[in-house]
Amino acid sequence: MLSASRHRQSRTSSARSVLVIKLVVAAVVLALVLAFPALAPDPFVLSVGVVIASYAALAVAWNFVGGLTGYISLGHAAYSGLGGYGTALLVTEAGVNPWLSMVVAAVLVGVAAVPIGIASLRVRGASFVIVSIALVLILLLVAQSWAGVTGGSNGLRVPRPFGTDVLRPEQHERFFYLFVGLTLVALALWWVIDRSRLGTGLKAIREDEDKAQALGVPTFTYKLVVFVVSAFFTAMAGGMYALWFGSLDPIFQFSILTGSYLVLMSLLGGVRSLLGPVVGAVIVGYAVEFFKNQYGDTQLHLVALGLLLALVVLFMPDGVIPWLTSQLDRFRPSSTSIREVDAAQLAEERKALEEAKS
Amino acid sequence: MSSALLLQSLILGLLLGGLYALLAAGLTLYFGVMRVVMIAHSAFLILAAYLAWFFTTQTGLDPLLSLIITVPLFFAAGYGMQRALLSRLRPATLTMMSVLLTFAIALVIEGGLGYLFSGTQRRIQLGYSSASLELWGARIAVVKLVAFGLAAVSLLALYLLLKKTRFGQALRATIQHREAAQLLGIDTDRIAGFGFGLGLATAAVGGTALALDATIYPSLHWHWIGPLMAIIVIGGLGSIPGAAIAAMLLGVTQALLQIPMGTTWAQTVFYLALFATLMFRPQGFFGGRLAQRF
Repeated sequence: MLSASRHRQSRTSSARSVLVIKLVVAAVVLALVLAFPALAPDPFVLSVGVVIASYAALAVAWNFVGGLTGYISLGHAAYSGLGGYGTALLVTEAGVNPWLSMVVAAVLVGVAAVPIGIASLRVRGASFVIVSIALVLILLLVAQSWAGVTGGSNGLRVPRPFGTDVLRPEQHERFFYLFVGLTLVALALWWVIDRSRLGTGLKAIREDEDKAQALGVPTFTYKLVVFVVSAFFTAMAGGMYALWFGSLDPIFQFSILTGSYLVLMSLLGGVRSLLGPVVGAVIVGYAVEFFKNQYGDTQLHLVALGLLLALVVLFMPDGVIPWLTSQLDRFRPSSTSIREVDAAQLAEERKALEEAKS
Repeated sequence: MSSALLLQSLILGLLLGGLYALLAAGLTLYFGVMRVVMIAHSAFLILAAYLAWFFTTQTGLDPLLSLIITVPLFFAAGYGMQRALLSRLRPATLTMMSVLLTFAIALVIEGGLGYLFSGTQRRIQLGYSSASLELWGARIAVVKLVAFGLAAVSLLALYLLLKKTRFGQALRATIQHREAAQLLGIDTDRIAGFGFGLGLATAAVGGTALALDATIYPSLHWHWIGPLMAIIVIGGLGSIPGAAIAAMLLGVTQALLQIPMGTTWAQTVFYLALFATLMFRPQGFFGGRLAQRF
């Protein structure tokens, strides 16, 4: 331990400057994001910004399970859709305050995620994905068939949470900040979990579940906790989207496509990093909106999404940033895996350690 | 509920179950040889159905003849897909990434079909489309019998191929223990590719059978993949007899539930059975030593 701390001391100056640079970059990016509504030239661009911010919130929520445990869910649209429908029903049927409904709906989805998690986390890998897909398909069936409650194929209308005096562009602006706020809260929690005992256990599961279990990590409980957290945040984002968009269509709410967007975003940005899903959400969200704008309503967007997903899976499964660094590394002198201390330094460290022991 | 209606539903369920069984056998083959869950299986099913429809509208010949083209084509496509795409994935994350990759392929197929043939619903008109047999008061459409016959013959052929030929032995050895099979001199990479090709060939046969009596549209594959996935999990991943039994049981249950509940709600039986299986017997009900781990 002692030598480790000495070692750390010798590097603190460089580590501190890296930290300062990181903080400055983060502050600048955050300032740019917060200034976006003021910079956006027209309400349409602003609404695209809101969509991207909602994708960012969803992708970060997805990454609680996908990034920390390596369990890839293609069916997170189930939770966002349930959050949206729950919010809408609480507002219209029970007359609850919209923001309270959003939170209550998300909590309910979190509770519902417990039995779903118990069923689907018992199996690994493929079966987990199958269950996540099945969940979306079953909810789509229910939403379309149970017309008395869900409005069937017509969906539901959600009243606006702000008064009629708040105009459309200003609504976009407020929801943009709300989505950014939700994303930041989710990111903060992800960061805390990532550094906690829970996070270490989860990452052990991701690397080798059998070994983690053998070492005494309560794998099932850990997975379930993070699964419920993920469902909660996804449902929050879904409920917020419902309040912003004002209407729910079952085809879009419970769509496997939405779930696959989230997977693509997180994988592209890098599931192992804090900000990876956000980076992916900006890239993919922008690409999706651009594609819709350019090519309209053809089926080609499916082909584009499929090809992009295949490329990411085949060539950059760790995300675009690690891929770029590895491409750049080709032009650098090859690095060694041996740590960069020479024999004299090592001897000195050893001596210090011996002294500390005696 | 009259007994004739019950009998009719029972027969229709068995006929549908036959098609499910054939398709689930294909999925089981992929899973066996590579531990891959092939989401694109049903997309290839719909692709084959579209090819059969296109073949018939262009040439005016019977859609069954399109099998001469689609089966070898799909076999080659499956072999190529395994060798060129899936074998590139890292072994450590193979299962998850293969799901995503095949999902991507499914999206490309769906989008391509929608682009080429538009989202319009298509149906093959045949001379015997409306013909039906009457059996103790139950009316069974001839096309459904033909589709079932096709599925049954293909399943039998698959069974004989796996049990009686040297290739089948090599394939089963690869499924059971890859390293041991390699030690015996089996080229497991090639065999895995052929296994994939066989699996995709079942999609070609199934798609033609489907095109005979169903209305097809590009996004139809989502209605198939859920039930098929449920069947292979319930049957125990990797077990062909298990998948066949689960397919028959669920097909009949679905057909019987359609009488009181209607078609949409009857579909949910697959998902309920899937959740129940995972809750109480995650390794599936028939065989499936492989299941829990994957």
